[in-house]
Amino acid sequence: MAKRIVSVASQTPTATADTTALASGTYPFAIQGTSGTQKTNILEVYLGGQAGASSPSIMLLSRDSTIAATVGATTTTDAALDASNSALSSPVVTGNTWTTAPQRSASLHLLNLSFNAFGGVVRWVAAPGEEISIVGNTASLGEVSLSAFTGGTPGLLGAHAVYETL
Amino acid sequence: MVGKRRHEGYLMVDHRSIEGVPDALVVAHGLPVGSGRGLFEAPTYTCSHCQTVVVMNPARTRERAYCRGCDHYLCDGCGATRAANGGLCKTFNQIADEIISAAEKSII
Repeated sequence: MAKRIVSVASQTPTATADTTALASGTYPFAIQGTSGTQKTNILEVYLGGQAGASSPSIMLLSRDSTIAATVGATTTTDAALDASNSALSSPVVTGNTWTTAPQRSASLHLLNLSFNAFGGVVRWVAAPGEEISIVGNTASLGEVSLSAFTGGTPGLLGAHAVYETL
Repeated sequence: MVGKRRHEGYLMVDHRSIEGVPDALVVAHGLPVGSGRGLFEAPTYTCSHCQTVVVMNPARTRERAYCRGCDHYLCDGCGATRAANGGLCKTFNQIADEIISAAEKSII
């Protein structure tokens, strides 16, 4: 068990409707299980606004009804929180550029993190044992994404999520 | 005595330096009135049946759905489902265990 952090330094998300392909590089990240027996907990999600003008952004952490496939060159980073951690043999896949794009589920939104990216900050932390889980590697429980919902005018932001594969 | 507050997560939305988000937008997405302005801090709980994170509106007077089977608060949707099913408790962790168990059997 090792806590890791997936983050995107700076990005302007594109507002995308549910069950619509999330275009590469237009959402902070998706986190996908690697095997059918893998379970990963999300412990924390943070968004910090970097926009230069008012930008109400409806950011959703949601399960994906269409699982992404084949991660490409992403603008995300994924690092161990503890420098002494050894690498997992089957690490969770994270990124925002995939050959097959993920699609946000219309019914399994998990967390609404609406905020104004013009300097706003939003952070959610789970209580121990109350984390959001990713189970297996198939729809709809095997992948979670952070993306912008339709409405508002998403602005430049940075984001991270802390997760732990069990 | 262990209370239910041990289940509470934490949500912080900080708009102290800017105008924030209009109520119409945040309320439409299930957040409390005023949560888009100034500093908003609230406890959250994770529905043990579906893992949706619920922001606990301090102004809410309606009873929260609660499951005695797993000793957790539920989201309104799962609360209604539980009531319709005669109080059936099936937690997300049980579903996860079933998925993992099925995957392990298919590997073997």
